[in-house]
Order: sequence, then C-alpha cells, then structure tokens
Amino acid sequence: MLLRSIPYFLHRALKNINSNRFVYLLGLGTTAACLLIMGAFLLLFVNVHTWFQGWGHTLSLNVYLEDGISHYQKDKVYASIQAMPGAKTMRFISKEEALTDLKRALGDQSKFLDHLAHNPLPASYEVIFEGDGGPDLTPERITEKLEKADGVEEVQCSAEWRNKVEGVLSVAQFIGLTIGGLLCLCIVFIATNTIKLTLYARRDEIEILKLVGATDRFVKLPFLIEGAIQGLLGGLLSVGLLFGGYLFLSSKKIEVLGLAPLEFVFIPAAYVVALVLIGLGMSAIGSLAAVGRFFDI
Amino acid sequence: MIQLYNVSKKFGANMALRDIDLKIGKGEFVYVTGPSGAGKTTLLRLIFGSEKPDSGDMLINAINLKRIGRSKLDHLRRRIGFVFQDFKLLPTKTVFENVSIALEVMGQRAKVIRKRTHQALRMVGLSEKEMSYPLSLSGGEQQRVAIARAIVKSPMILLADEPTGNLDPELTREIVTLFLKIHERGTTVILATHSRALLEAVPCRTIQLKQGRVIEDRCY
Repeated sequence: MLLRSIPYFLHRALKNINSNRFVYLLGLGTTAACLLIMGAFLLLFVNVHTWFQGWGHTLSLNVYLEDGISHYQKDKVYASIQAMPGAKTMRFISKEEALTDLKRALGDQSKFLDHLAHNPLPASYEVIFEGDGGPDLTPERITEKLEKADGVEEVQCSAEWRNKVEGVLSVAQFIGLTIGGLLCLCIVFIATNTIKLTLYARRDEIEILKLVGATDRFVKLPFLIEGAIQGLLGGLLSVGLLFGGYLFLSSKKIEVLGLAPLEFVFIPAAYVVALVLIGLGMSAIGSLAAVGRFFDI
Repeated sequence: MIQLYNVSKKFGANMALRDIDLKIGKGEFVYVTGPSGAGKTTLLRLIFGSEKPDSGDMLINAINLKRIGRSKLDHLRRRIGFVFQDFKLLPTKTVFENVSIALEVMGQRAKVIRKRTHQALRMVGLSEKEMSYPLSLSGGEQQRVAIARAIVKSPMILLADEPTGNLDPELTREIVTLFLKIHERGTTVILATHSRALLEAVPCRTIQLKQGRVIEDRCY
C-alpha cells in the first residue's frame, strides 16, 4: 500500500507546498544560502588544493641582488642560475620595476612611497624550477648555493611560503569543517521551523485527518516529503549558483604572488552530489524533528 | 457491539461521566439525551476513542478501548463515522474533497474514492454541489456534507453530536430521515441530542443522562 501511495503523498506534498509557497520559498532560499556558503568553501578548498598541488611540482625563487651590483656580477649570478638543472623561467626585476609592482599592489595606499628619499627595494631574479631535478634540486641546496654567490643579498624560496600556506590551509580546513557543521545544523533548524509553520497553518486539516482515521504515517509523510523537497531544491539551487560563481571567477585572470594566473576548477561531481544529499538529508532530519511531536487527537 | 462497564471520566474536578453501564447492540438506533453538561458529548467521544475512560472498561467489537494502541485506534476510527456538532469541514477544500478525505486515509484507489464519494453525496442530496466550498453552503447543507463524510466509508457505527442543533424543524426532519436511511443499511446509529422534537418525531431507544449518570434507558 505504501508504494502505491507514494504518488498520492507526493501530490499532497506538492499541493501543500503550493498553498504555503511564501513560507516555503523563504525556507528554500535560506537552505540554498547555507548550502551555497558550504559550496563556496568547497570550491575554495578544491581550487587552493589544486593550485597548491601544481605549485608543489615547481619551485620558485626570488634571488635578491645587492645594491650597486656590477654588470659582471649580475651576469655571473645569471649564469650560475642558468647552470642549475631544471631552471626554466627567469625574469630580471629591476629596482624600479620592483617599486612599480609594489605601488600597483598597494593601490591607493602607495602614496607614502612617493616620499621615500631613495628606492629601498632590491633588484632580483625570479626563477622557476620545474620537474624533478634530482637530489640537487632541494630548496635548501639551491638557496645555500645561490646565497654564496657574489652580489646576492638574499634568496627567498617558495618552499618557505608553501610551508606557511600549508599551515594556514590546515587551520582554514578546520574552520571550514566547523562552519560546515554549523551550517548543517542551520539547515536542520530551517527545515524544522518551515515544517512547524506549515503544521501550524494546517492544524485543522491534520485534526480532521486524524478524526477520520488517518494513521500517523499518513499525516506525517507529506511533511517529510516537503522537507526533503526543500533540501533537494535548496541543494540544486546552491549548486547552480555556485556554478554561476565559478563561471564568473574562471572568466577573470587572477594572479597571486606573481605566479602564473590561477586556473579555476569546479568542485568534483562527488562533491556536487554530496552537497545536494546534505541538503536533502538535513532537511529530512529537520522535518522529522518537526513532525516527531505530533498532535495527539 | 458497544459495551461500557462502570465507566467514569472526569476533567479536572468535574465528573463528566459516573459509573456508566451500557450495552448497545449491532444495528440499533439510539438517542443519547439530557441537558447541556449531562455528558452526552463525552460519551460519544469515549466511544470514538478520542477520550479514554479514567476507570471501568469499554469494548467495541470486543476491542478494549482502554488498552488500545495508537495504530489500532486509527483503524477502528475508520469503521466509525462521526458527525461533529461544528461539522469540522475544511473551508479550503471542495465538498467532494471534504467527503473523499475519509476514503483517502484508508488508502482507497482513486476510482473507488470517486465512485463512493458520488454515492454518498447523492444520498445526502448534494450531488449538484460537489465543487462548492463549505462556506458557500447553508447550515443544513454543511451538516449534510459532514454526514456524507461520516457515511462514505460505510461505517459500522455512526455517531452524531447534536446533528440538528442549529437547524429548523423542516431541515431537522430531513436530517433524521437521512439517519434512518443509513440505519436501514445496518449501521448502528447513536445520536446525541437535547431536542424533544426529534425524540418525539422518531421515537427510538433513548438513554437519558443527567450529571454524568444514566437516569433512564428506555426503548420505544
């Protein structure tokens, strides 16, 4: 009988949604917003992770040169970098270019730089090592070797940044999981309250249904279906919005730390399914909680 | 069919029913009468299972209502029709939907629901108004919708609480005739009323209550 009744319950749930569409849309919107925040976190993590993994295969160095370095010394530094296995991209950044880059990065706040008596920024070489260069291509070895060269003031290695970013990422991951958990609770709470409001609006109908012999399951099922539909639609809506956001971001050229522009990727299909299922599951739990304490007629 | 043994029920300090001993057989037509507050509605609600007795035992078709579980009670209610004093119709649903709801909860097929709802509405003379909404109907018509909903599932027992309370004598006669028609089909009918006119128009077994006690149980 239950299987036969599913289309009937679905029909009743959809009819109920239609008659309480304002409250329902409000609940749906809030659920979608919660899932969108979760999805945005996922999108951020997936992209940072992907970008970070790609970065893991390349090693970038900034070789800062001493002020007043001679052409001969500069060429020598250049030659010693070029001689290293795996050194692919090399760009010389003059003191003036470094200052211009800094001004651009600071934007409106760059005015104070105009009052500087002299340019304190050093000229540098930007170097990227690619591939597996063997035991000689460890960040420590390269740094040590280059720092010994004449005219080199300091060598900054992306590995240092990577370690720092890794630490930040683990903290962010923890914060993300905590926020995710709180958002799940929010979805449960939203569904509970939406269904409670509809229960209240239809208390007369429920009373009559019970008086003519409706079982608890008969009365409760449409409300559970309503909650599940809210979660499902909220999930789908959030995925849609997330995809829109992704398309917008991927059309932009975003550069970080002077590295190659970030290539945006969308969250994997499994995450999309998980996001929709979280919406559906949490909303179903919320509805279950709402109908759990039912009218005893 | 319906047996009550020393049944008492109180609400707070108010004793609604005291030591009621009663037997109503299958297919009987019974009036429960008495002044307001005598316990008529409480007695019907006990038989319907929406109240449980504080003491004593109540059997309906050998099922003890004092120990009945939620699920069994729901199923028992499907075999009892109740016409409420305030009709309890849903204003946002049509006459057809208000009646068919009693069959929907039983999981009947749509075709069966349509057929039996049309039959019930024909029986109460409301075939023409099946698409109307309750608030557009007169008091008598609303009462007949409530009766149609109670009889559409062919109940073994039909309970009616003051079914002619707000009706004029002509409509009262119409409604009573309807109850007699239902009774002729073998349904046990129990009407709670304080209308003398009704008791005199169609004399039947009459149980008179006063302050929660049976003071007279007479067959005509």
